Amino acid sequence: MPHSTQERIATRTPAPQPRVRVVRKHNVLVRISHWLNIPLLLGLIVSGISIYWASPIYQHNPNPQTGAFDYFADAGIWICAHLPGLRDYASPPDWVYNHASLGPYMLAPAMRLHWCCAYLFMLNGLVYLAGVFAGGEWRSLLPRLNDARGALRIAGYYLRTPFMMFRPRRRNPPHFNTKYNPLQRLAYLSIPVAGLLSVLTGWAIHEPMQLSWLAALFGGFDTARMWHFWLMWIFILFAVPHVFLVFVDSWDTVRSMITGWSTRLEIGSRANEP
Amino acid sequence: MNPEQNGMQLKPIRKSVPEKASHGLFRERAPEIIEVAPSTLRRRTRRDLFVFGAGAIAALAVGGSQLPQRVLQRLGVDQGRSITPKDKWLLNKAQRLDDDVAEALYSPNRLVPTYTKSQITPLKNNYNGATPNPGYISKWRLTLDGLSSGVTVSLDIAALLARHQIHDQITRLVCVEGWSAISWWSGLRFDDLLHAYPPVSQAKWAHIESSVNLDANGNPDPYFVSIDLLTARHPQTLLATHLNGQPLTAEHGAPLRLLVPVKLGLKNIKAITRITYTKDEPPDYWAKRGYSRYDGI
Repeated sequence: MPHSTQERIATRTPAPQPRVRVVRKHNVLVRISHWLNIPLLLGLIVSGISIYWASPIYQHNPNPQTGAFDYFADAGIWICAHLPGLRDYASPPDWVYNHASLGPYMLAPAMRLHWCCAYLFMLNGLVYLAGVFAGGEWRSLLPRLNDARGALRIAGYYLRTPFMMFRPRRRNPPHFNTKYNPLQRLAYLSIPVAGLLSVLTGWAIHEPMQLSWLAALFGGFDTARMWHFWLMWIFILFAVPHVFLVFVDSWDTVRSMITGWSTRLEIGSRANEP
Repeated sequence: MNPEQNGMQLKPIRKSVPEKASHGLFRERAPEIIEVAPSTLRRRTRRDLFVFGAGAIAALAVGGSQLPQRVLQRLGVDQGRSITPKDKWLLNKAQRLDDDVAEALYSPNRLVPTYTKSQITPLKNNYNGATPNPGYISKWRLTLDGLSSGVTVSLDIAALLARHQIHDQITRLVCVEGWSAISWWSGLRFDDLLHAYPPVSQAKWAHIESSVNLDANGNPDPYFVSIDLLTARHPQTLLATHLNGQPLTAEHGAPLRLLVPVKLGLKNIKAITRITYTKDEPPDYWAKRGYSRYDGI
């Protein structure tokens, strides 16, 4: 009988001072690995784009006027032609590389930075796994049977939200009786899965001879390179709404990733979470 | 310790869902609700913000210092005042670790995948500088040094071809830049040359040079690579004379180039003119320019 225990405690404790109620939300290892992901993924992406530049996968015949043959170079030329103040930019084809990577012709330092971040990223993945199992949080990440419908409901809610300022009465987000809503579960699970696939495809293209079976698993060396390239976009596509929703949501959510606890006691999650 | 200070260790007072719902390995557990004094909570929040903030500053400092000088200048961090170290110790450590891992993964008995003739893809001339004028080919000779006999041997291509069996293989060449090409290569095994002209007994390395290599302006720029003898003895390491059934052209390193599919393309030196066996690791053209020394793939 839970009630009687509570009463006993209440009668025994002398006049308690006001207390707050909190729940543990994230294991300390999960929190550490979460924040370490930011510099590591940033380092992997900027060095990765420099490495990509040495031999772009997606290229076309050189443009007769600009000589550019890859789509990032085309994007740089377009940006410099259309954004004010960039008309006199020294090398428009390099604009994207100068702003999203270490810059062109930086293959050797980019590879060193990539290996450094990659080994730390693999270690960080183990820290995350240790934390997610030690804290039992892995259960909250497992997909459920009707997650597809729930994820669509929340995605629809997010997409309608900008228009709700005209109809404030209708502004109640879908509620779910779980720590994360289905879209969160999908997003939070896809990141460790993408991390694992990035590591595997990374090894496949780093050691395509000694680990030729791994390269073959991803369709061979050249296809594994494409996998590795597109997996980068999963992290970028995740990070944009993730960071946006953190700012939309309350301080409690950010704090829970630093201190580990939250003052939101109910297990249910509202849609407005990152 | 009084219970106020030990607030976070307090026992949960209530389960928010019935006990039954917690059963099953995969079912989400209800969170434990903990009562804690507000002062404790504030103190812990401050402490954690400080610890994580200090960690972020440390990560920024270490990470930032490891960025290349040119990037730091572009970001406006280091305007030539050399406040950041030129020696990227952490990146160098990572490179050494990665070389050690690649060396540990290497197995002398593991063969690289081979392909069929229908899978052959075009191979571009990736000479870093200008392509040498084919005039050198008729005067070409291979010099071997560091042999157990103590003499320096000079061979022409006819002598090499007459004495050794020619092997064919269709393998993939992987460039450090990221592209790769499948080609049909023919040549003698490096291992056969090592048996015919054995190196000094303490030798662990081959220093392979090409004196005909040119820089981008067409000036002489000798190319040289270091190859560990374990790799040189691999059955698929060839001293190639033919590409896709035709004698090598100047673009692909006529008359003799190294074909070592377990290494990146930059170790596959073209137009070899000299092989010297050494006890200590010899210098390497691209390692001097910041690339890996081992380049095992």
